[in-house]
Amino acid sequence: MTEVIAGRARVKTVVLNRDVNAPLRGRAEQLRQEWTRRGILVVNLLSSPGAGKTSLLEATAKHWSGRQGMQVLVGDLATDRDAQRLAPWAPVVQLTTGGACHLEVPLVERGWHELPSQDCRFLFIENVGNLVCPASHDLGEHLRVLLLSTTEGDDKPGKYPKAFRTSQMLVISKTDLLPHVPFSVDAACADARAIQPDLECVPVCARTGAGVAEWCAALERRRDALLAGRTDASG
Amino acid sequence: MHETSMVRRLIEMVVQEAERLGGEEVSVVRVEVGALSGVEPMLVQLAYDQLTPGSRLAGSRLEIEVVPLRARCAQCGVFEVPQFHFTCPRCGNSRTVVVSGEEFRLVSFDQFTKPGEPQE
Ligand SMILES: Nc1nc2c(ncn2[C@@H]2O[C@H](COP(=O)(O)OP(=O)(O)OP(=O)(O)O)[C@@H](O)[C@H]2O)c(=O)[nH]1
Ligand SMILES: [Mg+2]
Ligand SMILES: [Zn+2]
Repeated sequence: MTEVIAGRARVKTVVLNRDVNAPLRGRAEQLRQEWTRRGILVVNLLSSPGAGKTSLLEATAKHWSGRQGMQVLVGDLATDRDAQRLAPWAPVVQLTTGGACHLEVPLVERGWHELPSQDCRFLFIENVGNLVCPASHDLGEHLRVLLLSTTEGDDKPGKYPKAFRTSQMLVISKTDLLPHVPFSVDAACADARAIQPDLECVPVCARTGAGVAEWCAALERRRDALLAGRTDASG
Repeated sequence: MHETSMVRRLIEMVVQEAERLGGEEVSVVRVEVGALSGVEPMLVQLAYDQLTPGSRLAGSRLEIEVVPLRARCAQCGVFEVPQFHFTCPRCGNSRTVVVSGEEFRLVSFDQFTKPGEPQE
């Protein structure tokens, strides 16, 4: 299509129909395939600030106590506080976003190569505390887990649809506070399932350890399924 | 706000393609923003207006088309998704598939042609 402007200069329309995020998604897919090949289940943890991601990872490492090899990449705006908290429990690399509100693939890829070993069973990526931006970024994970703490209110799923829609598991955290806050686990899970019907809901308390065994078992099942899928595909 | 990094990528895409096609000035850039794309049209516009002055796209205009969220039910067909509840409003089926509204897409751009450049 051409159009005459000011009698002389002409304009052409260049049609591209190209997804702006396609290049990054391609890179994420390559990482996912590499992790699948290595038998590593990669988990991207999303939540609002302070919902308990680092506490859950501490509790997970304590529960497994070395039986399941796990490593962690932890994203933060500026500090390495979470990495310091996790260091006694598991190999961890801090990803400092320099103010960005979410992790992107290139930073994750760099962190992955900085880990002491490329051999483990579980790789956790703790995203920056934010329920909006991280939802749009595929980091190559197999499993996206959204943490919703009982102090945030059970009406949050409908307010952050993208984060819930793109997750496969919902962890309700800080269940020790249930007697003190108006929060219904059933209502939160039902609201979330209206957005994502396949969401697996797991209530957990990192403080008392309640539900941690179930959460770890769910992760082990997911990894078994990943390995089984791998054999199917190659055989 | 992650719109900035996405719009930066959009600008790179347009500039790269515009250079390949002769490097003349770009006047209009058209994008589609889905209701579940994870980017906010207003913030996309803001980022574009902040990032383009001083770039190869200085002076160009961004046109945003907002794409509504639609899903398909295997039995009942396509419906507009209200309030991000993906259950089919006709039959209650919850396993519906999104058909539009998740995209942040560079649709097209207008570029001045060089003097003597053949017209299509
Ligand atoms: N009562 C209670 N408090 C908890 C629980 N889990 C975590 N917390 C507290 O919640 C606060 C935040 O926990 P973190 O684990 O740092 O949360 P986070 O999601 O990693 O936070 P950011 O990385 O800053 O987004 C801390 O004060 C924890 O002690 C829990 O199960 N019960
Ligand atoms: Mg943390
Ligand atoms: Zn239906």
